[in-house]
Amino acid sequence: MPAPQLLAGALELALNKVLSLDNASQQRLAPLCGKRMRVKLKELPWPLTFVFSSQIDLLMDDEQPVDCAMELSLTHLQEMQDPANISALIQDKKLSLNGDMHTAQSFAALLKELDIDWEEQLSRYTGDVFAHQSVQLAKSLHQRAKGHLQQLGQIIKDGALHEKQLAAHPLAVEDFSRDVNKLRADTARFEARLSQLEQLKASR
Amino acid sequence: MNQQPESNQTHFGYKTVDKDSKASMVAGVFHSVAAKYDLMNDLLSMGIHRIWKRFTIDCSGVRAGHRVLDLAGGTGDLAAKFSRLVGEKGQVVLADINDSMLKVGRDKLRDKGIVGNVEYVQANAECLPFPDNHFDLITIAFGLRNVTDKDKALASMFRVLKPGGRLLVLEFSKPEIEALSKAYDLYSFHVLPKVGQLVVGDAESYQYLAESIRMHPDQDTLKGMMETVGFEQVTYHNLTGGIVALHRGFKF
Ligand SMILES: C[S@@+](CC[C@H](N)C(=O)[O-])C[C@H]1O[C@@H](n2cnc3c(N)ncnc32)[C@H](O)[C@@H]1O
Repeated sequence: MPAPQLLAGALELALNKVLSLDNASQQRLAPLCGKRMRVKLKELPWPLTFVFSSQIDLLMDDEQPVDCAMELSLTHLQEMQDPANISALIQDKKLSLNGDMHTAQSFAALLKELDIDWEEQLSRYTGDVFAHQSVQLAKSLHQRAKGHLQQLGQIIKDGALHEKQLAAHPLAVEDFSRDVNKLRADTARFEARLSQLEQLKASR
Repeated sequence: MNQQPESNQTHFGYKTVDKDSKASMVAGVFHSVAAKYDLMNDLLSMGIHRIWKRFTIDCSGVRAGHRVLDLAGGTGDLAAKFSRLVGEKGQVVLADINDSMLKVGRDKLRDKGIVGNVEYVQANAECLPFPDNHFDLITIAFGLRNVTDKDKALASMFRVLKPGGRLLVLEFSKPEIEALSKAYDLYSFHVLPKVGQLVVGDAESYQYLAESIRMHPDQDTLKGMMETVGFEQVTYHNLTGGIVALHRGFKF
């Protein structure tokens, strides 16, 4: 199940959102442009590969060569964001670094400027990851499904108001509503089943 | 059920039509949905197609300087990402048989500021207009299903791939569990065409979509087809319970 892709997608979106709010972001990205940085956090089962261009792309790829790779635990991520701390962290064996030091420093500087609360961002994915993974994924998919149903309703409403061609035959709408209701009922059943599973897990 | 009929007829969803007319009927489908294609994709897969595509990219091994063909690339979701991943020295070719889809793709990528290393080529997957041993990576996402002669298309991809290169086929497939299969059928045959009718005003195209998904070769059949045209180390990975599968093969 591609739960890691869910994480990568969410993080990538968040990172680029923060970047887009920052007028100097292109300037900050410039020294990293074309570089790849792999970060292995001890709390996460998958390494994250950052690819820099005019934005950041995040890959869950373990295979391809990178300019620099680092391994550390989440608790040291904050310290690492001050480039001056990097050597000390390496000496204390809190950070292992392989590859181009410049890339690591620019990366640290960028993270510092972005000022993201990583522990908060990653908390849903760390800890007892494997036990939680499927439940987490199912939950978020379920949330998405719910969100999309609402969104769909809204789009159809807006569309019907603004675009004549979209106004559907009343019978089709009725039919469709029935399907949506069914989907909603299925979702509710799924929800019940999920909480049952969660209870089961908790009691073990 | 996965075999093509022997004559000059082929499947168009469940209908059997002349081979010559399938291409133009498929074109009709995508012309009619092109403008709202991305919105529909999000609605109909509940956004999960983004995760399937991310997984594809994670399996691509793409690097700076690579030359990538995104075949049946449509509105360019994969191409946009590849463009950044291959960098200035790399190249991405977005190829599609349908100029409406290409146009939507080109406009979308331009709006995102993606210019320079992407080329747009109108091409039929069955006879690709590129030299032998040309690409490091070929992807075809939700496209092979629509191709009339899939074996011919796979052979054509094999030809233009460099030795050492890989092909990734992302496509609807056969759900692993019977119950999921049933629920999915219900969704694709009942909900899908209706949403199509409501949002795009075109139920028939989405009826075609549902049918073409059912007619597409299952995981092992497609794996065999890839091996027959020469791909090696062919593996597949089921996603979302096999609703979708990612096949990967290498040319050595
Ligand atoms: C469902 S769309 C997929 C678009 C995109 N790859 C994605 O995943 O969003 C299928 C695309 O295949 C294209 N197509 C169909 N038959 C084709 C052929 N024989 N050669 C090339 N492209 C083809 C259609 O024009 C359409 O854009």
